[in-house]
Amino acid sequence: MPAKGGSLRLRLIAMAALWCAVALIAAWAVLSALFADQVRRGFDGNLAAQLEGVIAASEWRDEGGPSLRRPLPDPRFQQPLSGWYWQISGPDGPVLRSRSLWDGTLPATESSPAGGGISYDDVAGPNGAGLRLAARSLTLTGVEGAFLFQLAGDSAAVAADIARFDRLLAVALAILGLGLIAAMVLQVQIGLRPLARIGRALGDIRAGRADRLQGAFPSEIQPLADEIDTLLGHQAAVISRARAHAGDLAHALKTPLAVLTNEADQNKGALARHVRHQVVEMRRQVDRHLSRARTAAAAGVLGARCDITPVLEGLVRVLNRLHQERGVTINLDVADHLAFAGEEEDLQEMLGNLLENACQWAKSSIMVTATAQENGVLFAIDDDGPGLPPAQREEVLNRGARLDESKPGSGLGLAIVADMAALYQGELSLRDAAMGGLSARLTLPLAP
Amino acid sequence: MRLLVVEDDKDLARQLRGALGDAGYAVDLAHDGEEGHFLGDTEPYDAVILDLGLPELDGITVLQRWREAGRVMPVLILTARDRWSDKVSGIDAGADDYLAKPFHMEEMLARIRALLRRAAGHASNEIQCGPLRLDIAAAKVSLDGQAVSLTALEFRLLSYLMHHQGKVISRTELVEHLYEQDFDKDSNTIEVFVGRLRRKTRAELIETVRGLGYRLAVPDAG
Repeated sequence: MPAKGGSLRLRLIAMAALWCAVALIAAWAVLSALFADQVRRGFDGNLAAQLEGVIAASEWRDEGGPSLRRPLPDPRFQQPLSGWYWQISGPDGPVLRSRSLWDGTLPATESSPAGGGISYDDVAGPNGAGLRLAARSLTLTGVEGAFLFQLAGDSAAVAADIARFDRLLAVALAILGLGLIAAMVLQVQIGLRPLARIGRALGDIRAGRADRLQGAFPSEIQPLADEIDTLLGHQAAVISRARAHAGDLAHALKTPLAVLTNEADQNKGALARHVRHQVVEMRRQVDRHLSRARTAAAAGVLGARCDITPVLEGLVRVLNRLHQERGVTINLDVADHLAFAGEEEDLQEMLGNLLENACQWAKSSIMVTATAQENGVLFAIDDDGPGLPPAQREEVLNRGARLDESKPGSGLGLAIVADMAALYQGELSLRDAAMGGLSARLTLPLAP
Repeated sequence: MRLLVVEDDKDLARQLRGALGDAGYAVDLAHDGEEGHFLGDTEPYDAVILDLGLPELDGITVLQRWREAGRVMPVLILTARDRWSDKVSGIDAGADDYLAKPFHMEEMLARIRALLRRAAGHASNEIQCGPLRLDIAAAKVSLDGQAVSLTALEFRLLSYLMHHQGKVISRTELVEHLYEQDFDKDSNTIEVFVGRLRRKTRAELIETVRGLGYRLAVPDAG
């Protein structure tokens, strides 16, 4: 689910990966440098030991210049161009060389003054290969001038060792890095799981499957969950208060209206007639605006949901009782598990008004169907009464025209249903029923 | 026929009592739920008109308690709460009819007549017993097609007997169903009224069942 704010998970993982990469590259550089230094020191030590061997084995013969008392044990000094060479130079140039040098020479290098320590240098060998060269300058007893003892070894092996180590180290660190990132992904996944849970819980609330978040969350997001629950509770309280106020107002107004009606009914004069008409009008207004106020308070409330079947069954019980003498049969055909995304009271009000209307006009039977459609749940309430001419349908839905003064009720039933349906983004329409009378079609949001 | 009206609005209660009294019923008033519940629980009413928004005890609770205690008299809920949710809870609590305020008295009277008639097992608004005919809607009695002039109490007595024709009705039962609560109940007056009714109709229609009470029946019907 791509979000404009980016992904928290991605952000955490990217940061971790970046940090890991920087740390591992630094580690690689440090380890590589340490290893290279170590290898070179070892190589230099080896060179120094060999050089000391050459110095120890060399002797001076007056007639023939320097010579070795015994051959060096390492056979590489005998193999031509083996990469391992030694050379002794006098003041006038090289005087003795290893066989491996063939007819080449080691380049003269700057050396510390005679009697000093060993100095090291990187030079090019006779065949162009890179050499590491150790040199020491000595004065020999009884001989004029200083002699330069040099010993060189092929540094390619060293470079190869270092390169091999670098490669291995890089691979090992890369594997470590991948492991760390995998662990980080897992950690983030587990760490963020409560957020996903809170998301699902909110989804349940929205769908009406729960009315509170409930459950224990980690201490970091528990305050958030508590706040949300408090908010939901507050919202529910506000709605029920609004409904209660509306109900109280209805009660407070209607009993005096009943008294007025009855007083007026007992008198014949013009005033009484006037009062009767005004009372009827007042009742219509009270009904219409109260139902609007009550529905407006509830429509679009988060997580409202009610099952349709029990509501219809309750209404049928009432209508069968109230209209038992009319002998009208009400048949229900409701698809399983349908739920309306709204307040139960509002659904009762809408369906009750439609059913009451159908009961008043039906000859013998009413058919109620509820089916799930693409755009919500569709209720069809059909009767076998006289029906309603198309010309009057609009009027009934909009202004609540009272078509038959002899029928009880304010005549606003269908208009109230249309108002309430509109507040729920639903719709009420009237058409001819297959069974002869009027078919009221009510579309309302379906709860998931 | 004796009715109980439980209504907390004094004006409306007075109007109801007036209209019901004019229609020939004995009427008791209760102005709150506690009193209403007590009266309905202890007195044998033929029907009750019950408001829902009552002080002390809510109408629905009153009704539920009656029904739990096995009181089966017909109950008409007369209330300003006209939401369908209220109607469903009213009917489910055991009400027999539901009328929303504001209402017309004729409508209320028609509903009460229908309730009484159905409770006594009669299907139409006219009850016949031999030559006697009771028009419930008009509150008129005729004998062989001739209107019979009756006082309010005589009408109540005859109407009760006609609703329950064929059954033996004790004097106590008659007293309980004819007089209002605070009336000085004297079962001897029943004898006087029965005597008058026999004179105004036909003596053989109202049979005295010794030690038990009275029975209205067509003689030699079987």
